[in-house]
Amino acid sequence: MARRTCIFFISLLLSGGNAALSQDTVTFPLHIRAGFDISGPVMKLIDKDLISYGVTGSADINSSVALTAGFRYSSFNSSEVIYDFSSRGLSFTAGADYNFIKANVSQGKYSAGIGLRYGLSFYREEASMIRYTNEWGAGEAVVPPGRHTGHYLEITPGVRTEIFPGVTIGWNLYMRLLISAGAGKDLKPVWMPGYGAGTSGMRTGAEYYVSLSIPYRKIKVYIKPKIQESDEDEDEEGGQPAGTGSSSGTMGFPGRL
Amino acid sequence: MTRLLPITPSAAVIVLIISLSSCSVQPCYEETDPLMITELLVSGTGEMAKADSLRVYTYRTADTLRFINEKGVSRFALPLDPGNDESLFLITLNGVTDTAVIWYERRPHLVSPECGYTLFSEIRGLHTTHNIIDTLIIENPTVDLDGQKNLHLFY
Repeated sequence: MARRTCIFFISLLLSGGNAALSQDTVTFPLHIRAGFDISGPVMKLIDKDLISYGVTGSADINSSVALTAGFRYSSFNSSEVIYDFSSRGLSFTAGADYNFIKANVSQGKYSAGIGLRYGLSFYREEASMIRYTNEWGAGEAVVPPGRHTGHYLEITPGVRTEIFPGVTIGWNLYMRLLISAGAGKDLKPVWMPGYGAGTSGMRTGAEYYVSLSIPYRKIKVYIKPKIQESDEDEDEEGGQPAGTGSSSGTMGFPGRL
Repeated sequence: MTRLLPITPSAAVIVLIISLSSCSVQPCYEETDPLMITELLVSGTGEMAKADSLRVYTYRTADTLRFINEKGVSRFALPLDPGNDESLFLITLNGVTDTAVIWYERRPHLVSPECGYTLFSEIRGLHTTHNIIDTLIIENPTVDLDGQKNLHLFY
Protein backbone atom coordinates (compact mmCIF):
# COMPACT_ATOMS: atom_id res chain seq x y z
CA MET A 1 0.00 0.00 0.00
CA ALA A 2 2.82 2.39 0.95
CA ARG A 3 4.59 1.57 -2.31
CA ARG A 4 1.45 2.29 -4.33
CA THR A 5 0.96 5.62 -2.55
CA CYS A 6 4.56 6.60 -3.22
CA ILE A 7 4.29 5.73 -6.91
CA PHE A 8 1.06 7.76 -7.11
CA PHE A 9 2.69 10.91 -5.74
CA ILE A 10 5.72 10.47 -8.02
CA SER A 11 3.38 10.18 -10.99
CA LEU A 12 1.60 13.35 -9.89
CA LEU A 13 4.91 15.21 -9.67
CA LEU A 14 5.97 13.94 -13.07
CA SER A 15 2.70 14.95 -14.65
CA GLY A 16 2.96 18.39 -12.97
CA GLY A 17 6.49 18.76 -14.26
CA ASN A 18 5.36 17.93 -17.76
CA ALA A 19 2.68 20.59 -17.53
CA ALA A 20 5.22 23.20 -16.46
CA LEU A 21 7.49 22.28 -19.31
CA SER A 22 4.66 22.57 -21.80
CA GLN A 23 3.86 26.17 -20.73
CA ASP A 24 4.85 28.93 -23.15
CA THR A 25 6.69 31.99 -21.90
CA VAL A 26 6.49 35.40 -23.52
CA THR A 27 8.35 38.58 -22.71
CA PHE A 28 5.88 41.37 -22.01
CA PRO A 29 6.90 45.04 -21.91
CA LEU A 30 5.22 47.06 -19.16
CA HIS A 31 4.43 50.63 -20.25
CA ILE A 32 3.83 54.03 -18.79
CA ARG A 33 1.40 56.10 -20.86
CA ALA A 34 0.40 59.75 -20.97
CA GLY A 35 -2.47 60.80 -23.18
CA PHE A 36 -4.71 63.66 -24.21
CA ASP A 37 -8.44 63.46 -24.89
CA ILE A 38 -9.04 64.85 -28.36
CA SER A 39 -12.81 64.51 -28.11
CA GLY A 40 -12.88 67.59 -25.82
CA PRO A 41 -11.53 70.08 -28.40
CA VAL A 42 -13.61 68.41 -31.13
CA MET A 43 -16.78 68.79 -29.08
CA LYS A 44 -15.90 72.46 -28.52
CA LEU A 45 -16.35 72.99 -32.26
CA ILE A 46 -19.87 71.59 -32.02
CA ASP A 47 -21.01 72.61 -28.55
CA LYS A 48 -19.94 76.18 -27.84
CA ASP A 49 -21.20 76.00 -24.26
CA LEU A 50 -18.66 73.42 -23.13
CA ILE A 51 -14.88 73.53 -22.87
CA SER A 52 -13.35 70.26 -21.68
CA TYR A 53 -9.67 69.29 -21.75
CA GLY A 54 -8.61 65.97 -20.27
CA VAL A 55 -5.30 64.21 -19.80
CA THR A 56 -4.72 60.72 -18.52
CA GLY A 57 -1.81 58.61 -17.38
CA SER A 58 -1.50 54.92 -16.76
CA ALA A 59 1.11 52.39 -15.71
CA ASP A 60 0.98 48.65 -16.33
CA ILE A 61 1.48 46.63 -13.18
CA ASN A 62 1.25 43.31 -15.03
CA SER A 63 0.16 42.07 -18.42
CA SER A 64 -3.55 42.55 -17.64
CA VAL A 65 -3.90 45.34 -15.10
CA ALA A 66 -2.88 48.98 -15.35
CA LEU A 67 -3.27 51.68 -12.74
CA THR A 68 -4.72 54.83 -14.23
CA ALA A 69 -5.29 58.42 -13.22
CA GLY A 70 -6.45 61.52 -15.01
CA PHE A 71 -7.60 65.05 -14.60
CA ARG A 72 -9.84 67.28 -16.63
CA TYR A 73 -10.59 70.97 -16.77
CA SER A 74 -14.14 71.83 -17.76
CA SER A 75 -15.98 75.08 -18.20
CA PHE A 76 -19.67 75.26 -19.04
CA ASN A 77 -21.72 78.35 -19.85
CA SER A 78 -25.37 78.15 -20.80
CA SER A 79 -27.56 81.10 -21.60
CA GLU A 80 -31.16 79.98 -21.94
CA VAL A 81 -34.35 82.00 -22.08
CA ILE A 82 -35.20 81.01 -18.52
CA TYR A 83 -31.75 81.00 -16.90
CA ASP A 84 -28.04 81.75 -17.28
CA PHE A 85 -25.82 79.10 -15.74
CA SER A 86 -22.07 78.70 -15.53
CA SER A 87 -19.78 76.19 -13.86
CA ARG A 88 -16.09 75.45 -14.04
CA GLY A 89 -13.67 73.25 -12.22
CA LEU A 90 -11.17 70.43 -12.14
CA SER A 91 -11.99 66.77 -11.87
CA PHE A 92 -9.66 63.92 -10.93
CA THR A 93 -10.11 60.22 -11.57
CA ALA A 94 -8.14 57.25 -10.28
CA GLY A 95 -8.64 53.54 -10.76
CA ALA A 96 -7.56 50.51 -12.74
CA ASP A 97 -7.98 49.09 -16.24
CA TYR A 98 -8.21 45.39 -17.01
CA ASN A 99 -7.10 44.10 -20.43
CA PHE A 100 -8.97 41.03 -21.65
CA ILE A 101 -6.45 40.31 -24.42
CA LYS A 102 -3.87 37.67 -23.50
CA ALA A 103 -0.27 38.76 -23.10
CA ASN A 104 1.03 36.75 -26.06
CA VAL A 105 -1.52 38.46 -28.35
CA SER A 106 -1.48 41.99 -26.94
CA GLN A 107 2.33 42.18 -26.61
CA GLY A 108 1.84 45.41 -24.70
CA LYS A 109 0.55 47.12 -27.85
CA TYR A 110 -3.15 46.37 -27.83
CA SER A 111 -5.85 46.53 -25.27
CA ALA A 112 -9.53 45.71 -25.16
CA GLY A 113 -10.85 45.88 -21.68
CA ILE A 114 -12.72 47.69 -19.00
CA GLY A 115 -11.78 50.21 -16.36
CA LEU A 116 -13.24 51.25 -13.04
CA ARG A 117 -12.45 54.69 -11.65
CA TYR A 118 -13.44 56.93 -8.81
CA GLY A 119 -13.90 60.57 -9.67
CA LEU A 120 -13.74 63.78 -7.66
CA SER A 121 -14.91 67.10 -9.06
CA PHE A 122 -13.99 70.43 -7.49
CA TYR A 123 -16.16 73.05 -9.09
CA ARG A 124 -17.85 76.42 -8.81
CA GLU A 125 -21.39 77.01 -10.05
CA GLU A 126 -23.56 80.07 -10.45
CA ALA A 127 -26.87 81.03 -12.04
CA SER A 128 -26.54 84.75 -12.70
CA MET A 129 -30.16 84.98 -13.81
CA ILE A 130 -33.18 82.75 -13.29
CA ARG A 131 -36.51 83.84 -14.68
CA TYR A 132 -39.84 82.77 -13.21
CA THR A 133 -43.43 83.27 -14.21
CA ASN A 134 -46.61 82.45 -12.32
CA GLU A 135 -50.00 84.05 -11.59
CA TRP A 136 -48.30 86.84 -9.64
CA GLY A 137 -46.33 87.80 -12.74
CA ALA A 138 -42.77 87.42 -14.03
CA GLY A 139 -39.54 88.20 -12.25
CA GLU A 140 -35.88 87.35 -11.93
CA ALA A 141 -33.65 85.97 -9.21
CA VAL A 142 -30.08 84.70 -8.91
CA VAL A 143 -28.24 81.73 -7.51
CA PRO A 144 -25.06 83.18 -5.99
CA PRO A 145 -21.69 81.57 -6.77
CA GLY A 146 -20.85 78.53 -4.66
CA ARG A 147 -17.99 76.03 -4.47
CA HIS A 148 -18.80 72.34 -4.22
CA THR A 149 -17.16 68.91 -4.37
CA GLY A 150 -18.83 66.11 -6.30
CA HIS A 151 -18.13 62.37 -6.30
CA TYR A 152 -18.80 59.78 -8.98
CA LEU A 153 -17.83 56.34 -10.25
CA GLU A 154 -16.79 55.70 -13.84
CA ILE A 155 -16.96 52.41 -15.75
CA THR A 156 -15.04 52.58 -19.03
CA PRO A 157 -14.97 49.79 -21.58
CA GLY A 158 -12.66 50.59 -24.46
CA VAL A 159 -9.94 49.63 -26.89
CA ARG A 160 -6.43 50.91 -27.52
CA THR A 161 -3.88 50.11 -30.18
CA GLU A 162 -0.35 51.16 -31.04
CA ILE A 163 -0.17 52.99 -34.37
CA PHE A 164 3.53 53.83 -34.23
CA PRO A 165 6.17 52.70 -31.77
CA GLY A 166 5.49 54.76 -28.67
CA VAL A 167 2.17 56.22 -29.90
CA THR A 168 -1.19 54.67 -29.14
CA ILE A 169 -4.74 55.72 -29.91
CA GLY A 170 -7.86 54.45 -28.29
CA TRP A 171 -11.37 55.26 -27.25
CA ASN A 172 -13.37 54.63 -24.14
CA LEU A 173 -17.08 54.59 -23.73
CA TYR A 174 -17.91 55.74 -20.23
CA MET A 175 -20.78 55.23 -17.85
CA ARG A 176 -20.60 57.61 -14.91
CA LEU A 177 -22.65 57.01 -11.79
CA LEU A 178 -23.21 60.02 -9.58
CA ILE A 179 -22.57 59.46 -5.89
CA SER A 180 -23.06 63.07 -4.84
CA ALA A 181 -23.03 66.44 -6.60
CA GLY A 182 -22.19 68.06 -3.26
CA ALA A 183 -24.52 71.01 -3.80
CA GLY A 184 -27.63 69.81 -1.98
CA LYS A 185 -30.91 68.67 -3.49
CA ASP A 186 -31.98 72.17 -4.59
CA LEU A 187 -28.90 73.33 -6.46
CA LYS A 188 -27.78 70.28 -8.38
CA PRO A 189 -25.49 71.61 -11.10
CA VAL A 190 -26.82 71.88 -14.64
CA TRP A 191 -23.28 70.74 -15.54
CA MET A 192 -20.83 69.24 -13.06
CA PRO A 193 -17.26 69.41 -14.43
CA GLY A 194 -15.90 65.94 -15.10
CA TYR A 195 -19.31 64.31 -14.75
CA GLY A 196 -21.96 66.07 -16.85
CA ALA A 197 -25.53 67.03 -15.98
CA GLY A 198 -25.76 66.84 -12.19
CA THR A 199 -29.51 66.21 -12.31
CA SER A 200 -28.93 62.78 -13.86
CA GLY A 201 -27.78 59.82 -11.77
CA MET A 202 -26.01 58.25 -14.75
CA ARG A 203 -24.20 59.74 -17.72
CA THR A 204 -22.85 58.00 -20.79
CA GLY A 205 -20.48 59.20 -23.45
CA ALA A 206 -17.07 58.62 -24.92
CA GLU A 207 -13.51 59.85 -24.92
CA TYR A 208 -10.86 59.45 -27.59
CA TYR A 209 -7.26 59.46 -26.44
CA VAL A 210 -3.93 59.84 -28.18
CA SER A 211 -1.17 58.64 -25.85
CA LEU A 212 2.58 58.43 -25.69
CA SER A 213 3.78 55.10 -24.41
CA ILE A 214 7.16 54.29 -22.88
CA PRO A 215 8.23 50.78 -21.86
CA TYR A 216 9.79 50.79 -18.41
CA ARG A 217 10.28 47.11 -17.59
CA LYS A 218 9.98 43.68 -19.17
CA ILE A 219 8.39 40.74 -17.46
CA LYS A 220 8.04 37.11 -18.39
CA VAL A 221 4.47 35.90 -18.65
CA TYR A 222 3.58 32.22 -18.67
CA ILE A 223 0.89 31.30 -21.16
CA LYS A 224 -1.00 28.14 -20.33
CA PRO A 225 -1.44 25.98 -23.41
CA LYS A 226 -4.95 25.01 -24.34
CA ILE A 227 -5.80 21.52 -23.11
CA GLN A 228 -7.32 19.46 -25.88
CA GLU A 229 -9.17 16.31 -24.93
CA SER A 230 -8.19 13.38 -27.14
CA ASP A 231 -10.78 11.33 -28.93
CA GLU A 232 -9.42 8.28 -27.15
CA ASP A 233 -10.29 9.75 -23.71
CA GLU A 234 -13.75 10.73 -24.88
CA ASP A 235 -14.35 7.23 -26.18
CA GLU A 236 -13.22 5.70 -22.91
CA GLU A 237 -15.44 7.99 -20.81
CA GLY A 238 -18.35 7.65 -23.15
CA GLY A 239 -18.11 3.86 -23.23
CA GLN A 240 -18.30 3.47 -19.48
CA PRO A 241 -21.61 3.32 -17.67
CA ALA A 242 -22.16 5.91 -14.93
CA GLY A 243 -21.08 4.85 -11.46
CA THR A 244 -18.76 2.10 -12.64
CA GLY A 245 -15.49 4.02 -12.90
CA SER A 246 -12.28 2.10 -12.52
CA SER A 247 -11.45 1.45 -8.91
CA SER A 248 -9.09 -1.45 -8.73
CA GLY A 249 -5.54 -0.54 -7.81
CA THR A 250 -5.39 2.76 -9.74
CA MET A 251 -7.19 5.00 -7.22
CA GLY A 252 -9.57 6.39 -9.80
CA PHE A 253 -6.93 7.40 -12.42
CA PRO A 254 -7.47 5.17 -15.43
CA GLY A 255 -4.48 4.81 -17.65
CA ARG A 256 -1.96 5.56 -14.92
CA LEU A 257 0.36 2.84 -13.55
CA MET B 1 -4.72 42.31 -33.89
CA THR B 2 -4.18 44.81 -36.67
CA ARG B 3 -7.92 44.47 -37.14
CA LEU B 4 -8.22 46.86 -34.21
CA LEU B 5 -6.77 49.69 -36.30
CA PRO B 6 -9.78 50.22 -38.61
CA ILE B 7 -12.09 49.79 -35.63
CA THR B 8 -10.87 52.91 -33.90
CA PRO B 9 -11.81 55.55 -36.55
CA SER B 10 -15.24 54.00 -37.05
CA ALA B 11 -15.67 53.91 -33.29
CA ALA B 12 -14.82 57.60 -33.18
CA VAL B 13 -17.70 58.31 -35.56
CA ILE B 14 -20.08 56.31 -33.36
CA VAL B 15 -18.78 58.15 -30.34
CA LEU B 16 -19.39 61.50 -32.03
CA ILE B 17 -22.96 60.53 -32.88
CA ILE B 18 -23.60 59.43 -29.28
CA SER B 19 -22.11 62.65 -27.98
CA LEU B 20 -24.13 64.82 -30.34
CA SER B 21 -27.38 63.07 -29.47
CA SER B 22 -26.77 63.83 -25.80
CA CYS B 23 -26.45 67.55 -26.64
CA SER B 24 -29.85 68.00 -28.27
CA VAL B 25 -32.24 70.45 -26.62
CA GLN B 26 -35.13 68.75 -24.83
CA PRO B 27 -38.51 70.35 -24.08
CA CYS B 28 -39.75 70.80 -20.51
CA TYR B 29 -42.49 68.40 -19.45
CA GLU B 30 -42.27 68.90 -15.69
CA GLU B 31 -44.36 71.00 -13.30
CA THR B 32 -42.39 74.09 -12.29
CA ASP B 33 -44.89 76.11 -10.24
CA PRO B 34 -44.91 75.27 -6.51
CA LEU B 35 -48.36 75.62 -4.93
CA MET B 36 -49.36 76.08 -1.31
CA ILE B 37 -52.10 73.52 -0.65
CA THR B 38 -54.75 74.22 1.98
CA GLU B 39 -57.28 71.73 3.28
CA LEU B 40 -60.64 72.81 4.69
CA LEU B 41 -61.70 71.23 8.00
CA VAL B 42 -64.69 71.55 10.30
CA SER B 43 -63.82 73.48 13.43
CA GLY B 44 -64.28 71.33 16.55
CA THR B 45 -64.55 67.94 14.87
CA GLY B 46 -61.58 68.22 12.52
CA GLU B 47 -63.51 66.44 9.79
CA MET B 48 -62.98 67.36 6.20
CA ALA B 49 -65.26 70.21 5.12
CA LYS B 50 -66.65 71.18 1.76
CA ALA B 51 -67.30 74.88 1.24
CA ASP B 52 -70.39 75.83 -0.75
CA SER B 53 -68.40 78.57 -2.43
CA LEU B 54 -64.82 79.76 -2.26
CA ARG B 55 -63.13 82.80 -3.72
CA VAL B 56 -59.48 83.70 -3.20
CA TYR B 57 -57.99 86.89 -4.56
CA THR B 58 -55.60 89.72 -3.74
CA TYR B 59 -55.49 93.43 -4.41
CA ARG B 60 -52.49 95.04 -5.98
CA THR B 61 -51.90 98.68 -6.71
CA ALA B 62 -52.86 98.32 -10.35
CA ASP B 63 -55.20 95.34 -10.42
CA THR B 64 -56.88 92.46 -8.61
CA LEU B 65 -55.54 88.94 -8.97
CA ARG B 66 -58.23 86.29 -8.81
CA PHE B 67 -56.86 82.88 -7.94
CA ILE B 68 -59.90 80.74 -7.15
CA ASN B 69 -63.63 81.04 -7.71
CA GLU B 70 -65.24 77.63 -7.24
CA LYS B 71 -68.09 75.78 -5.58
CA GLY B 72 -68.00 72.59 -3.51
CA VAL B 73 -64.34 72.92 -2.56
CA SER B 74 -62.59 70.85 0.12
CA ARG B 75 -59.00 71.89 -0.67
CA PHE B 76 -57.35 74.55 -2.78
CA ALA B 77 -53.91 75.42 -4.10
CA LEU B 78 -52.39 78.90 -4.26
CA PRO B 79 -49.11 80.20 -5.67
CA LEU B 80 -47.04 82.34 -3.32
CA ASP B 81 -45.61 85.60 -4.63
CA PRO B 82 -42.09 84.59 -5.82
CA GLY B 83 -41.02 88.23 -5.85
CA ASN B 84 -41.70 88.87 -2.14
CA ASP B 85 -41.30 87.19 1.23
CA GLU B 86 -45.00 87.59 2.04
CA SER B 87 -48.30 87.08 0.27
CA LEU B 88 -51.69 88.50 1.22
CA PHE B 89 -54.86 86.64 0.27
CA LEU B 90 -58.51 87.58 0.67
CA ILE B 91 -60.45 84.36 1.27
CA THR B 92 -64.22 84.47 0.84
CA LEU B 93 -65.75 81.30 2.26
CA ASN B 94 -69.52 80.87 1.82
CA GLY B 95 -69.83 84.61 1.25
CA VAL B 96 -67.80 85.73 4.31
CA THR B 97 -64.36 87.26 3.73
CA ASP B 98 -61.20 86.90 5.80
CA THR B 99 -57.68 88.17 5.17
CA ALA B 100 -54.68 85.87 5.47
CA VAL B 101 -51.03 86.93 5.35
CA ILE B 102 -48.32 84.29 4.82
CA TRP B 103 -44.63 84.95 5.53
CA TYR B 104 -41.98 82.73 4.01
CA GLU B 105 -38.38 82.37 2.86
CA ARG B 106 -37.64 81.61 -0.78
CA ARG B 107 -34.88 79.40 -2.14
CA PRO B 108 -34.02 78.55 -5.76
CA HIS B 109 -34.39 74.96 -6.89
CA LEU B 110 -33.24 73.44 -10.18
CA VAL B 111 -36.12 71.45 -11.66
CA SER B 112 -34.11 70.19 -14.65
CA PRO B 113 -31.75 71.63 -17.25
CA GLU B 114 -34.71 71.78 -19.65
CA CYS B 115 -37.18 73.42 -17.25
CA GLY B 116 -34.72 75.64 -15.41
CA TYR B 117 -35.16 76.91 -11.87
CA THR B 118 -38.15 77.58 -9.67
CA LEU B 119 -38.45 79.08 -6.19
CA PHE B 120 -39.42 76.87 -3.27
CA SER B 121 -40.75 78.54 -0.11
CA GLU B 122 -40.47 77.73 3.57
CA ILE B 123 -43.45 79.15 5.48
CA ARG B 124 -42.24 80.99 8.59
CA GLY B 125 -45.51 82.42 9.89
CA LEU B 126 -49.06 83.48 9.10
CA HIS B 127 -51.82 85.76 10.32
CA THR B 128 -55.54 85.69 9.62
CA THR B 129 -58.70 87.53 10.57
CA HIS B 130 -61.50 85.46 12.13
CA ASN B 131 -64.76 86.41 10.45
CA ILE B 132 -65.41 82.84 9.32
CA ILE B 133 -61.98 81.25 9.73
CA ASP B 134 -61.52 79.76 13.20
CA THR B 135 -57.88 78.69 12.83
CA LEU B 136 -55.30 78.53 10.08
CA ILE B 137 -52.35 76.32 11.01
CA ILE B 138 -49.15 75.21 9.27
CA GLU B 139 -49.16 71.48 8.61
CA ASN B 140 -46.07 71.35 6.39
CA PRO B 141 -44.02 74.53 5.93
CA THR B 142 -42.29 73.47 2.69
CA VAL B 143 -44.02 74.66 -0.47
CA ASP B 144 -42.45 72.66 -3.27
CA LEU B 145 -43.51 70.46 -6.17
CA ASP B 146 -44.41 67.38 -4.09
CA GLY B 147 -48.11 68.29 -3.86
CA GLN B 148 -48.32 67.77 -0.08
CA LYS B 149 -50.81 69.84 1.94
CA ASN B 150 -49.29 72.83 3.72
CA LEU B 151 -52.12 74.47 5.72
CA HIS B 152 -55.22 73.36 7.62
CA LEU B 153 -58.06 75.87 7.58
CA PHE B 154 -60.70 75.28 10.28
CA TYR B 155 -64.02 77.15 9.99
